[in-house]
Amino acid sequence: MKLKAIVETLGCKVIYKGGAFDTKDVRNVIASDLMSDVLVVDKDHLLLITSLPSDQTIRTSDIVGAHAVLVVNNKSLPASMVSLAKELDVTLMQSPLTKFESCVMIGKLMNPT
Amino acid sequence: MKAIPVNPEQSPLVILDLLFKLKIKDVMSSPVITAMRKDPMRKVQYLMRDNRISGVPVAERGRLFGIVSINDIIQALDGGYSDDAVALHMTTQMVVLEEDMPLSFGISYFEKFKFGRFPVLNKENRLVGILSSRDVSASLLVELHNEYHKLEAKLPLAAIKDVNTITRHFRVERFDFENAGKAAHAIKKILSEQNYPPALIRRVAVAAYEMEINLVVHSLGGTFTFHMDPEKVELLAADEGPGIPNVELAMQEGYTTANDWIKSLGFGAGMGLNNIRRNADEFNIQSAVGRGTTVRATILLPSERDKPQPT
Repeated sequence: MKLKAIVETLGCKVIYKGGAFDTKDVRNVIASDLMSDVLVVDKDHLLLITSLPSDQTIRTSDIVGAHAVLVVNNKSLPASMVSLAKELDVTLMQSPLTKFESCVMIGKLMNPT
Repeated sequence: MKAIPVNPEQSPLVILDLLFKLKIKDVMSSPVITAMRKDPMRKVQYLMRDNRISGVPVAERGRLFGIVSINDIIQALDGGYSDDAVALHMTTQMVVLEEDMPLSFGISYFEKFKFGRFPVLNKENRLVGILSSRDVSASLLVELHNEYHKLEAKLPLAAIKDVNTITRHFRVERFDFENAGKAAHAIKKILSEQNYPPALIRRVAVAAYEMEINLVVHSLGGTFTFHMDPEKVELLAADEGPGIPNVELAMQEGYTTANDWIKSLGFGAGMGLNNIRRNADEFNIQSAVGRGTTVRATILLPSERDKPQPT
């Protein structure tokens, strides 16, 4: 699943478009506001869905090698978070939907049946 | 075989530069062992034997008259005229060098004239030295040795160190969330540059990040050290307190002493220490209340052979 498909289906705003945006496939998704939970996930090609807009969300994504962070509920993003996303080249997107709605729609995108 | 196996026209620039920079007077043997015209050939023979040389210029008060080579001596022995004066049998058709000529000139003379040595004169045409191929080889070796040292000093130190081990120290302050993760990111970058598999890089990065977060959240501040050699990565977090009263309890998943502020940042779920242990091949924690805590995690690296080649 390409990040572009998620952006189009959910009506996301792309805050920062990283190098992985057009090239990498998302194969695993974790939805969590607890970075400790994200850090125990042992999967690659990851998308992180969260309602925690913080610098450490970006740092955590960088450490686990996630392709992108999707912040739900149109939460406003601190400027430091955006600049860190640029610095570490982590794609940062904003969804107008709730976390549950975002997850459902991405789930359908991944498993169309 | 060439007398001097260096081409004074087609060599690396460092050599060409040396051959031009060095003058004959820098390389020649001086003072010179000489004979006088009236000396018997036998005396020159002894001079050669005692000084282990194969050519003796004939000169008086700096003025050069000729040269006697070992070949002339052999012929004198053969012809039975070793008691004759040198003046009768010396070579007078000579090729000489001037002391201010560049060494490249001297080398080309060895090729051109096939002599084993050349007398060296100064501007006043006085004999000041003698140049043999041995003098050239020895001085070139010394000069190349010096040049090599200079070139080596210019190499970036990191590039040499990277071959074997890399060590990085990071200072981590209490509650400094802004910088937590910088060390882990730097470590991730080092390993990525060396083409280790992504899964292994993630294990090291996650362990390092959890250790940094622990230092920020729980300690009064401390140091974080990354050390790698070809076999393993070692991560060491050492803080200055307050220490953990019950390490066994702290290791239990879900047990936490983190406050709400830390939890609001997405941490402090009581999972960090376990996650470090899970990602490490060796894990060790030591703590003393009032003194501090040391956490060490070792991750073994695949051998060079197993390492994927860059694509």
